Amino acid sequence: MLPRIAKALIKSLLYFVFMYALPMALLSQVAEFAPELFARYEQFFSLFVAMVIFFVVSSELTAGTIYQYGFNVGKAIILIVFFVLALDGGFIELNFAMERMRMHIWADVRVYLAMFITIDLLGLAKSLLQAVNFLSERAEQQLPTPQPAR
Amino acid sequence: MRQAIRVLGWATNIFWITLLFFTVTTVYSAFQLGVGFGEPSMSSLDGTFVASLPLNITNRGFYDISDLNITTLVKDSEGASISNSSTFVQLIPRGSNASLRHNITVSLSQLTTENLSYLLFNDSNFNVDISLKLNYAKAVPFRISTNFTMPWGAPLSNLTLGNIAVTPYNTTHVMIVIPVSFENHSFFELNGTMRLEIVDNVDHIVGEGATSINSLPHSGYGDALEVLSTGNPANIREAHIYFETSVFSYGPVVILLV
Repeated sequence: MLPRIAKALIKSLLYFVFMYALPMALLSQVAEFAPELFARYEQFFSLFVAMVIFFVVSSELTAGTIYQYGFNVGKAIILIVFFVLALDGGFIELNFAMERMRMHIWADVRVYLAMFITIDLLGLAKSLLQAVNFLSERAEQQLPTPQPAR
Repeated sequence: MRQAIRVLGWATNIFWITLLFFTVTTVYSAFQLGVGFGEPSMSSLDGTFVASLPLNITNRGFYDISDLNITTLVKDSEGASISNSSTFVQLIPRGSNASLRHNITVSLSQLTTENLSYLLFNDSNFNVDISLKLNYAKAVPFRISTNFTMPWGAPLSNLTLGNIAVTPYNTTHVMIVIPVSFENHSFFELNGTMRLEIVDNVDHIVGEGATSINSLPHSGYGDALEVLSTGNPANIREAHIYFETSVFSYGPVVILLV
């Protein structure tokens, strides 16, 4: 169990650094120009990274069991719902102030949303197949070894 | 089954790489977009004012910009449309730049319509909505818009007729002197003719006169109009004023005479 915990901690630390700390350090420089633009999506980004790290740690701690694939399936479904909510169904609208004027930005990012959902659906399919494969291999191991007929 | 799992794994990785590549290049390209504004100019012809704004758009990104549309809507404080101007560019390929002029056209003859004629006499504020729409990389429609208010100065603000002075002219006519004044709060010069009709209690026109008007922007105008009138001056009720200028024609403005 200890090696699993250590591995899970190391993975979570690496994910945190490369998925959260470094991107936030880069984005914070850009955010100075339009803080309202990034404030809302900073929360979504933090939530996204937290969910990914949770599922990475859970998957690592339950490695070798059926629960690992359960967590992977749950991750795929939750991320699909998350992306649909975070991207407002593919239509992003932002209002912010720039100098003395109010600006309104609208973007149709359904292409991105479709790509995110496709990736998660592929991950979901892969996790389901892995779960079925795991169960079938386990069932095969429990079957008695056939003896040659005399 | 393991091959299928492996294939799905590879497909997922390829999709992630493609998405990250597209996202990074799109964001990078967006920051490489340069928009430069030239010196705006104004011109007028037959009561139509054109504000022309030169724009230079440089696309140093990786993707084309298509269906670029700049729209300017000018409305009064009640939401009535005064001007609707659009500029369209079909394609700005990557690595190129486009120079265009966005013309905002305002026809002042619209101010003589029923719902906008109050703007001839009352200062107000116009609501200006500017929006820029484009398709980026032929996949991401994008729109940015803003609005602001623009002050409007009335060309015939405080139009006033002073106390009339009646002096006998001959046995059948009297000379009526009517002081007329207004303030030109607008940005354009007002020159033309002002015609005045005097109307009595039974709606008969009993006198008529005209004078030329010339008022610079943000300046006042005052003159005394002399009108020969028939009939009893005691029956005079009101004056009908007609304006024929280089910018608009309007009338009658009905003012009760004291």
